[in-house]
Amino acid sequence: METIGIFADVESAGRAVTGLVKAGFVEAQITSLTSVAYPDGVLVKVEQRSWFRWVALAGAAVGAVAGFCLAAGTAWLYPVRTGDKPIIALFPTGIVTFEITMLFAIIGTMVGMFLEMRLVSRRPRLYDPAIAEGCIGISVSFYLPGEVVVCRRGDADEECIGAIANLSAREQRERAEGIMGQAGALRTITE
Amino acid sequence: MSNAHPTPQVTRPPTAKSATAVNDELLSSLNAPTRSWYALVALLSAAVAWGLIAFGWQVTHGMYVTGINRPVMWGFYITGFVFWVGLSHSGTMVSSILRLSRANWRRPILRSAEAMTVFCIAVAGLFPLIHLGRNWIFFYMIPYPNQRGLWPNFRSPLLWDMTAITAYIIGSSLFLYLGMLPDLALVRDRSHGWRRDVYALLAMGWRGSAHEWAVYHKASTLMAALIIPVAVSVHSIVAWDFAVTVVPGWHSTIFPPYFVIGAILSGVAAVITLMIVIRRAFRLEEYLTALHFDNMGKILLVISLLWSYAYFVEVQTTWYAHEPIEWEVFSFMADRYSWQLAVMLIGNSLLPIFTMCFKRLRRCIPVLLAVTMLVNVGMFIERFLIIVPSLSHKNMPFAWGSYSPSWVEISVNVAALAGFSLLFTLFAKFFPIVAVTDVRELEARKAQVPLGRAELPSLAVED
Amino acid sequence: MEKTSSPYQWGMAIDLDRCTGCGACVVACQAENNVAICDKKEIAQGRDMHWLRIERYWTGEYPDVRVRFLPVLCQHCHDAPCEPVCPVYASYHNQDGLNGQVYNRCVGTRYCANNCPYAVRVFNFYPHDWPKPLDNQLSPDITVRSRGVMEKCTFCIQRIRRAKEEAKGEGRPVRDGEVQPACAQTCPAEALVFGNLADPQSRVARLSRSPRRFKLLEHLGTHPSVFYLKGGGREHV
Repeated sequence: METIGIFADVESAGRAVTGLVKAGFVEAQITSLTSVAYPDGVLVKVEQRSWFRWVALAGAAVGAVAGFCLAAGTAWLYPVRTGDKPIIALFPTGIVTFEITMLFAIIGTMVGMFLEMRLVSRRPRLYDPAIAEGCIGISVSFYLPGEVVVCRRGDADEECIGAIANLSAREQRERAEGIMGQAGALRTITE
Repeated sequence: MSNAHPTPQVTRPPTAKSATAVNDELLSSLNAPTRSWYALVALLSAAVAWGLIAFGWQVTHGMYVTGINRPVMWGFYITGFVFWVGLSHSGTMVSSILRLSRANWRRPILRSAEAMTVFCIAVAGLFPLIHLGRNWIFFYMIPYPNQRGLWPNFRSPLLWDMTAITAYIIGSSLFLYLGMLPDLALVRDRSHGWRRDVYALLAMGWRGSAHEWAVYHKASTLMAALIIPVAVSVHSIVAWDFAVTVVPGWHSTIFPPYFVIGAILSGVAAVITLMIVIRRAFRLEEYLTALHFDNMGKILLVISLLWSYAYFVEVQTTWYAHEPIEWEVFSFMADRYSWQLAVMLIGNSLLPIFTMCFKRLRRCIPVLLAVTMLVNVGMFIERFLIIVPSLSHKNMPFAWGSYSPSWVEISVNVAALAGFSLLFTLFAKFFPIVAVTDVRELEARKAQVPLGRAELPSLAVED
Repeated sequence: MEKTSSPYQWGMAIDLDRCTGCGACVVACQAENNVAICDKKEIAQGRDMHWLRIERYWTGEYPDVRVRFLPVLCQHCHDAPCEPVCPVYASYHNQDGLNGQVYNRCVGTRYCANNCPYAVRVFNFYPHDWPKPLDNQLSPDITVRSRGVMEKCTFCIQRIRRAKEEAKGEGRPVRDGEVQPACAQTCPAEALVFGNLADPQSRVARLSRSPRRFKLLEHLGTHPSVFYLKGGGREHV
């Protein structure tokens, strides 16, 4: 369950996040939806460590093997003498291996990025087109007691969902909406 | 007299526009096409169609319809190939390097530079297929298991070319797409009907959450770092097509770096030309300002100096050693193609170095337009003068010859230019041609900070 | 060189002191190998199809003018520059040291011709036909090449194949002089000598050790199989 408050400017959106945190919501529950990027901490703080680079690295490794097999392996399977060049020639193999490595690393970067962003999303998620026009959305996800929550690395369990999780979903939502309204939200939408 | 010191007040710049206004202006290119747009597309399509007819003529008749002969087995097609691969280096160099160095003035330029890369390399990739004696069996060069029991030869530089160009086409397309992702989401939110569905599909459900942005920025940086070595390798390999041979004038160790420098020179010049065209066509005077042209002019100056240095190194070593057959190639070139050589030297070296030294000329649009177009004319000639004179006067004097392009080769080259322009025109109509979110990000981070008696613009940045 | 994995390394010696420049070899080659007939226009455009050409050089000033002839055909280099650049293995090196050309693999990049320092590779710019009754002369032993394909001297590989098969049938090696390409067979001055360089007693091998020998563009390191002979006290002729 998620509620989004739409704000006209950064200042009011920032106030809303401060209010939410004070009321017992934790950073992990809150995110901002913006059409331009703001420096970390202007609205919310996000986990800075990311893992998609490992996918890029894995891509590069696969690419290196594929490239080597393509250039050297196939030449070895299909040996035709040309000029005085060895069947498995050092420089050409290196060049082809490099290209395929880079290609797969690039593809790995894209795939890893989308995986880590959790895109492509299959179901439409809560959103407001006003965000494209410069409005800022502050999204709060609600967790109920007993619900499994993915914590950020290093967070204690209570920091993860906070004391607010003892309230019912409806109460949580009303409280969040109240705080965002006070901070100057143009409107709130809930799913 | 009051003791109270007023707290310095940080304010938004008075000229700051609303996000909607910026969106409207920068996305105006997506509005319903005008009659002149249709006219342009029709004209370009006609030129492409003419090129296709010329190519069809060549396929149905034979390679004799071109100007090539023995010993000049490569002519305008390979010149075009090298030229377009060179142009495709603009996007990577301008976009990636400026992205990595966090130069904020890159923002309005990068989209068109990246798009240009993709279309240039796509056009370039066609030339090696067009120039084949038997185009209809081009797939003999593709490595896939086949009933012919044949496999391509990866020791041939042409296969390195194919691998590198494939990697570069895919890589630069993904780079373009990556840079466009937030913009696609933005366009999705502003459009209706089937267009909305298309943009929604391409935007992959982007919401712009803080997490998405954090990952996105890291991925953009990594991508920029990955695409640069690919770009350098692509043009090095194109240079190796020539440098690894035993042809006098081609067999030269300086070729790969020299080609890469030439590529960046033509690429930077083409980006400036394109900036001028886009600025005029889409009324972007406010976003592509004198600052952008000034900075690009400085880059052009540096690259032109580098190119001149490389050319000097190449010629002077040959001149001094005076190895007979190599010197024969150079003197034949200077003799037979003297005015082309003059245009090349003026266009690539003297003129850009002279004009780009002066701030006033760097900021003068007509001068820039003339200089950058002449740079690319010069670069086409440069490619030609590398390829043709060497082949004309190879080692066996009895088999010397010369070359002039035929109408078929000229038509196909003109069609390539038209095809590139057509792709770009269509792209600009369907996709945001200026990186809206990048530009707006800069706007959102700008503030006026009082310092002493003045209020200076400042920018919020992360470390 | 350890590349020798066959008892045959075909090679040729061309005695320039014997060559009269008559051109019989050129005609014989054209007749033997289904080499296309080119008209004046094609030749003027530099698109002639000769696998073998006689280069003619004039030296000296009138009245002391001399002419030198240099028959140039594919040198069948051991380190052939044309071979590794072919993307489709149309140009490759065979067991017998021949520089093979597979016409139906060729896609026509013409890279091999650019990289051939001897400029002996010819390209089918035109679709060629053999007007009647010349079509009756076409050899059934070899392909008629289509347009868009590179071709060049093969040392009359069809003759070599036949000789090897006959020898194999009789259980003996090919004898020296048993097989000759059309050019060598035709040369009235016996300037062209063909044979097996791997057999040190063969005529061509003995000539290849002559102090008069040299190779074309030897400094490029292509290691040609064709040896030229010049000198022997007749330099000024």
